[in-house]
Amino acid sequence: MPSIRYVGNELRRRRTRTVLTAFGLASGVGLVMGIVGVSDGLDEAQAKVLSPLSSVGTDILVTRTVGATTSTASASPSPSATPGVTREGPGFFAAGGPPGARGGNALESLNDSDATALLNDNSSVITDLSKLGKAGTRFTHDFFLSGTMLTFPSAALDTIKAIDGVASATSALTLQAQHQTGTVPEIVAEVKTGGETLTTTARPAEMTSAEQTAFRSCIQRNGGFGGPVNQSSGPAPAPSPGSGGEVRRVEIGGFGAVNKCLPKRFQEYEAKVVTPLRTIQQLVNPPQTDTATTSWTAAGVDPKSPGSGLITKQNISSGTWFTGAANEVVLSTTYAGKQKLAVGGTLTVNGKAYKVVGLADPTLTGNTADVYFPLSTLQDVATRTGRVNEVLVKVADSSQTDEVAAAIKKALPGAQVVTSKDIADTVTGSLHDAQQLANRLGGALTVIVLISTFAVAVLLTLSSVQKRVREIGTLRALGWTKRRVVGQVLTETALIGVLAGVVGIAAGYAVSVAVGLLSPDLSATSSGVAAGASQVGELFGQTTTSLTRSVSLSAPIHLSTIALGMACALLGALLAGAVGGWRAARLSPAVALRDLG
Amino acid sequence: MNPLYLLESVERAYPRGGSTVHALRGVCLEIHPGELLAVEGPSGSGKSTLLQLLGAMDVPTAGRVDFDGRALANAKDKELTRLRRDAIGFVFQQFNLIPTLTAVENVEIAMVRPARERALELLATVGLADRAEHLPSRLSGGEQQRVAIARALANDPRVVLADEPTGNLDATTAQEVVDLLIGLNTDQAVTVIVVTHDEDVAVRMRRRVKLRSGEVVSDSVA
Repeated sequence: MPSIRYVGNELRRRRTRTVLTAFGLASGVGLVMGIVGVSDGLDEAQAKVLSPLSSVGTDILVTRTVGATTSTASASPSPSATPGVTREGPGFFAAGGPPGARGGNALESLNDSDATALLNDNSSVITDLSKLGKAGTRFTHDFFLSGTMLTFPSAALDTIKAIDGVASATSALTLQAQHQTGTVPEIVAEVKTGGETLTTTARPAEMTSAEQTAFRSCIQRNGGFGGPVNQSSGPAPAPSPGSGGEVRRVEIGGFGAVNKCLPKRFQEYEAKVVTPLRTIQQLVNPPQTDTATTSWTAAGVDPKSPGSGLITKQNISSGTWFTGAANEVVLSTTYAGKQKLAVGGTLTVNGKAYKVVGLADPTLTGNTADVYFPLSTLQDVATRTGRVNEVLVKVADSSQTDEVAAAIKKALPGAQVVTSKDIADTVTGSLHDAQQLANRLGGALTVIVLISTFAVAVLLTLSSVQKRVREIGTLRALGWTKRRVVGQVLTETALIGVLAGVVGIAAGYAVSVAVGLLSPDLSATSSGVAAGASQVGELFGQTTTSLTRSVSLSAPIHLSTIALGMACALLGALLAGAVGGWRAARLSPAVALRDLG
Repeated sequence: MNPLYLLESVERAYPRGGSTVHALRGVCLEIHPGELLAVEGPSGSGKSTLLQLLGAMDVPTAGRVDFDGRALANAKDKELTRLRRDAIGFVFQQFNLIPTLTAVENVEIAMVRPARERALELLATVGLADRAEHLPSRLSGGEQQRVAIARALANDPRVVLADEPTGNLDATTAQEVVDLLIGLNTDQAVTVIVVTHDEDVAVRMRRRVKLRSGEVVSDSVA
């Protein structure tokens, strides 16, 4: 086939032009690949460092924050609540509460139930000085606050796990801990609580017919309504100070038989009414002593979930992941350094010793903690049994993240649902700046580079066509169609394009290697998610949690980048070929006759 | 017999600068199949323009050019291109061989369906069977022009148009090339039209058409 040979021979004969065009295109391809590589490198750094959720094997973070609840206060008797510490957030995540029971008033940013939940959740702030020992002795006391990240029953985890598209979910409890040391003061404020008149309207379900029958027969057995009074209505038992609430019997009649014969659930209800925690305001202002307070953050993570959670096994930089014992902790490297603790050391919290099994570098997020406990251990220590304040969700298909997030919001009204992308958006720092720059300038730079190299290729091809005017005219005179002439020029430039692509890809690799050798450092700072800017946290001197990380920039060359490079080279070559071919096709065959010297 | 070419009142004008150059003014000409014809005239007489019209490379600004009964005056480029490929063979003053292709490849590249055998055959008829694999740069001027003649015959044309075919050749070689063209005409009944200002070439043609200032001033048959 002379045509093919013609193309090859032509390229060889006009070697300078071939090489110039190829290298012109190749330099453009190399630059573009470099730009794309750096941009990819920034994206990867972003994904690695700035997307904390995905770096801990998670896509969605579910929390409950103040102001997010839309339910109104509709306190219902809660048989399971511990007297004195009612952390049940009414209406929100409350186990067993039918969704229809919740009213809605989204306009109130901090409604009553939130306020109550907030105060309840932070009630352990009370350092009951009377319990610390004799006046004049030294005391240390750690207490735990959930800040604005309110806790909710861990049953929410099961709700989330049941949602379509959720691959896995793990719960965690992040608390702000206050470590107080000081001397027990002489004067202990005596706080009287209780005695308030409680107005609670409760409407237990009507007695079933079986209950009525039993009730009637019981009354009969006990002598009817005229029977002797077995239990007199004495004064309410004295409340114990500092318990935060107390139980009060409600007399519903003078007949002992009635009390005795009422079905159990009526009696139960009577026994469990809780007074509002109105003494909190007094208790958050303890008497002034030489008490010194330092804060630290504690997190409870599921030891059985080493792959996803606030920290993962991958975050462990020395030591090991939790081995299963309850008294183990993992410290963040920074906190361990500050406290001069190492793997094998002992951390004491409220007089109890915990063994440091590992040190971790938590990934960039506001939810990093200084000390990681097994979840159940922290729940015990902080008296948050059965409560968590974060659920980390992994979705089955990352493209469904938004849908799953919406489903979680629907299933748990009032939940704050944050995706990896939301968190990445809060990140600042030179990495962020560089990425912004790459996003804004990278595209423009790529376009400029491509346009200029394409222009070079086009001009070189046009000049080559100009030098071959007689030849092309002759071919046209011999009966070559315009299409065949264009095809000839296009084939030539396409081959140049392939050559340019190969050389350009090599150049792109060179850029990548060069960037890798220089590896400029970039920093990234995340202001974090829910724990940041916590009002309650600030109240106790807790500053906004933020973490700065440094990453080395690399410019990885992906297969797609290579394909892009080759595509650019071919595109440029074909553009040049099209323009050159168009010019050639426009030549009159008569130019073959002209005496060009 | 139908004329191969029928030219009636052919005008060809080119705009040049602000004015118009009239290269051909009312040329009327009939050329029949099998003719051996010289178009003569000094430079600027319009003979190159006439050759372009005869070669279906150009169309007249006025008048009529028919090739074998087909009107070319308003034909599209595609039709003209096909006509050039199928019915017309060109021989140029500068030979115009593709420098990167061998002699036989230069013949093949002009073929509708490239066929090595046929190309070699054509080279043999012009006496270059042993030079088939040579690049043009390795051939003498006469040899190059003979390759060009073989190429002109690649698609069995009805007419061979030669533009000053001997202009770049010495006298001996020129006569050989002219012999070859006359041989085509006599042996293969191909119409041969030679544009020349060389009296030695023109005198060997059977019919001589002389142009001056775009007009036919003489049309004689020997």
